[in-house]
Amino acid sequence: MAFEPKLQAFNSSVNAVTLGTGDKAITIGGQNVMPFYTFDNAVENTQKIGLEILDDENAVENAKKAESMEGVSFICLHFASADPNGADTSVEDCVALAKAVSEASPLPLVIMGCKAVEKDAELFNKISEALEGKNILVLSAREENYKQVGAGAGLAYGQKVGAESAVDINLAKQLNTMLSQLGVDDKTIVMNAGSAAAGYGYEYVASTLDRIRAAALQQGDAQLAQPIITPISTETMGVKESIMTEEELPEWGSLDERIIEMEITTAAAALTGGSDAVIMRHPEAIKTVAAMIAALN
Amino acid sequence: MAVKGLDIFKLSPKTNCKECGCPTCMAFCMKVAQGALQIEQCPHMSDEAKALLSDATAPAMKTIKIGAGDKEITLGGETVLYRHEKTFVSHNVFAVPVCTCMDAATVDAKLADMAKIDYERIGEREFVETIMVHGEDGKATELADLAKKADAAGRVVIIDTTDVACAKAAVEAIKASKPVLVGANKDNFADMNAIATEAGIALGVCGASIEEIYDTVKALEDAGNKNLIIDVTGADVKETLKNAVLVRRTAIKDGDRSFGYPSIVKVAKLAKGDLHLQTAYASLFTLKYGSIIVMENMTMAEALPLYGLRQNIYTDPQKPMKVEPGIYPLNGAGPEDPVMLTVDFALTYFLVTGEIERSKVPVNLVITDASGMSVLTAWAAGKFSSSTVKKTFDELDVAGKINNRTLIIPGKVAVMKGEIADKLPDWNVVVGTREAVEIVKYLKDAEYDKAAKAAAAQKAEAPQEKKEVVDENAPLDFDKIAASIPEIKVVDMGVSYKKRNVESQKFVTIGERIHCISPTIKAAMDNMDPEPILKRAAEQIAAGATYLDVNIGPAESNGPELMTWAVKLLQENFNNVPLALDTANKKAIEAGIKVYNRENGKPIVNSADAGSRIDNINLAAANDAICIALCSADGIAKDNEERMAHCHKMLDLGMSLGMESDDLWFDPLFLVVKGMQDKQMDVLNAIKMFADEGLKSTGGLSNNSNGAPKEVRPIMDSALVAMAMMQGLTSAIVNPCDKRLMETIKSCDIFKNNELYSDSYLDM
Repeated sequence: MAFEPKLQAFNSSVNAVTLGTGDKAITIGGQNVMPFYTFDNAVENTQKIGLEILDDENAVENAKKAESMEGVSFICLHFASADPNGADTSVEDCVALAKAVSEASPLPLVIMGCKAVEKDAELFNKISEALEGKNILVLSAREENYKQVGAGAGLAYGQKVGAESAVDINLAKQLNTMLSQLGVDDKTIVMNAGSAAAGYGYEYVASTLDRIRAAALQQGDAQLAQPIITPISTETMGVKESIMTEEELPEWGSLDERIIEMEITTAAAALTGGSDAVIMRHPEAIKTVAAMIAALN
Repeated sequence: MAVKGLDIFKLSPKTNCKECGCPTCMAFCMKVAQGALQIEQCPHMSDEAKALLSDATAPAMKTIKIGAGDKEITLGGETVLYRHEKTFVSHNVFAVPVCTCMDAATVDAKLADMAKIDYERIGEREFVETIMVHGEDGKATELADLAKKADAAGRVVIIDTTDVACAKAAVEAIKASKPVLVGANKDNFADMNAIATEAGIALGVCGASIEEIYDTVKALEDAGNKNLIIDVTGADVKETLKNAVLVRRTAIKDGDRSFGYPSIVKVAKLAKGDLHLQTAYASLFTLKYGSIIVMENMTMAEALPLYGLRQNIYTDPQKPMKVEPGIYPLNGAGPEDPVMLTVDFALTYFLVTGEIERSKVPVNLVITDASGMSVLTAWAAGKFSSSTVKKTFDELDVAGKINNRTLIIPGKVAVMKGEIADKLPDWNVVVGTREAVEIVKYLKDAEYDKAAKAAAAQKAEAPQEKKEVVDENAPLDFDKIAASIPEIKVVDMGVSYKKRNVESQKFVTIGERIHCISPTIKAAMDNMDPEPILKRAAEQIAAGATYLDVNIGPAESNGPELMTWAVKLLQENFNNVPLALDTANKKAIEAGIKVYNRENGKPIVNSADAGSRIDNINLAAANDAICIALCSADGIAKDNEERMAHCHKMLDLGMSLGMESDDLWFDPLFLVVKGMQDKQMDVLNAIKMFADEGLKSTGGLSNNSNGAPKEVRPIMDSALVAMAMMQGLTSAIVNPCDKRLMETIKSCDIFKNNELYSDSYLDM
């Protein structure tokens, strides 16, 4: 008997969410198959890569370059310096920078906070106000500040809201539910279901992504049908492989290569698990992962 | 793969007739699965069942062995498509290729580069396990020579050729090392099959399309060969992923065993020389069903993340990754630098080392054996105590290797400080941070140094009187213990424990509220202050608890005294209320039972398991006590097969010691819904299996709702207890003050006909 593959397209799909405006706007999600399973059914929107830009003095310059970088579809402006326990950059200065970056590049903009929940809420809402109409994504509302962020960035200023949970499918669902109970449209939420570098507890991320996608597609769980965005470089840049210099560990070889391969491995794994967008830093890693996405679609 | 005991059990007569010599059908089936007994030894198993058995239990995916001797590698044997459904079994291996088209110097250089990747990561050797030798058509001698060279490099060899003559020569040259032969296709499979079968090696099947491969596999299977590997490499990465997924899905989900073989993916071919792209593809196929992944080369920069990813993905979700106990000098630490202590849970290790490295402060990190649990979990389970720390320090000779005497312990176990200081009197024990993220600041500010100096100064000021050397094996002096505890006063708490019929079939609730994790109770126990303990006991008795659990913690310094006091206090105040004695301290349990009054029920030893705590069954047997038997060893059982294996191990031990099977109460371990939702039915089914064997069961039922909102917990607990009682649960460790739960239990006792109905049954 000849082999006849049983295809597995589902009745439910991942929500499609658009970021940015004009020609450069991107849409992620929309598929009704597991990641890269284009043989099960055609997939309209391919996965996208964002360039992580730190909020330093080169931010605007870097933003200008992003558009011409191979594989980059959006910018993620990371306000690391806003952390009250760090440089504590004022909200006004952050807003000014966000505006400057937005003006410097037509690419969709994702605003990543500093993880201090109160500061982030204020930051997201002020930037959302300043960039009203730009259809940005704020990354992210969390259990502790989703009310402020949902009401501000989401409801008042019509931006897209990131919903972040720490590698826990139950929390991910709960946060999405709370945001929609607040009145934020399900179709404007993008999940950050947590991240880890390859080798550093990545199994939890892998299984969380698998389970979220199974819930959305197989069980048709509307509270987990949001597309997923996964920050990669913020995780991979913190591990030993990306820190130890060649002088410190000669047997490990070139540090730059290690940074690249760690970012590629982790991003490729996240995309294979279900991320619809990844945030990366190294141009060579971005180029490579973009080539992989293209080859698989 | 072995036939599963539970599958056999489903087909067994389930009459527990004992004619086979086993106490129960389940016990018989488990032994058959282990190969200890033959299925024919059951006189009542139908022929139909026997036939069904062989079909139903054949694995969906074969386990294939490649290589010989200590280089043997196991591939395949997978049972699920996603690791959270159970676990992935055989991790993928990597290969680098050499070719007859390369000159000798190139081959040597490639082999030398490959050999450079050889290091250890969390107890696993990371290296390129296989070499693929590719032969151009017609170059049989050359391929045989190349195969020998690769074989001499000490790796399993994959012979990659579709030329039958080449295959024959190369296999012949190294067949003792059990290479793999990849290259059977629709045209050559008969000849290739003969070569592989003759040498007893696995045969790789390739083809122009997945349909063609399928037909070739079928033809080989018809010829009697099921020692196969499927080359899923297609024209490009897109087709390759499709093949890899369809092959695995067809086998596991659709049950078509003709695709139930491991795979080989030639990533090198797909990436076409782009080495970064090759890493991306290797990551993809590590997750998606590659068994052998062939890379163009393997550098450290590639190996570090790829092997790390592989190790993560192939971790059993039920068995946490552990690091080896040891002294880990960080940031160039030497003997003069302080010691920091944490547990062997890999995630904890990575978090803590990451933060210490970021601080740049030289520290000797000592990892202690805690069964791969996190700090608090290990502490609560008695796997991380001053005794285990002392044992680690002795075994590793920390004091001999490190001169600095500052010992920083995790902030979460600050309570252990005194006990560790007693066990390690030369060390200045300091409480570190509660969270890893606080470590950088803590170390940079050298707060530990101040604390260590203060601890040293304190010791110097009040030199400890030389403590008596306590012989831990010495028999207890019960008179001395009795004399040392405060006099018990009987106080009227307005509640009395009603005399209980010990034969009653009614559900047994064990009240869990006297637990040293509660600060109030901890303080009361530290000072032997009766009032808070009596108050909690009275509440629970008034709420209808059958037994009271008394958890005194590890109580390493005064366990026997504390337990003796607690037992006398509670029983003398509450009409000999029956008690569960809950501590890792065996001497404390022994002392408690010595003064225990059995009027309302035997004492319960809480608890034994099938691992390091199995000797609590001996303790229970020696003292004619009931024993709660946790169906786990080290870590939660991964499925009911394992739960039942633990159950029978403990049952066998108990019976051999003369216990009644009724005195072993098996605990399936209730799991938290938030996190282990998909395992809840397993737990309930385990209870049914206990009940089917006539065994009693109990457990910390309310664990299911841990972390759920306060108002939701009683609802979840009540629903679960009703389901569990339907399955045959006979007891539970609960908070009796949860009214909804207690009312549910009473109602279920009515339906189960354990209690005669009357309109006011809830008030009984």
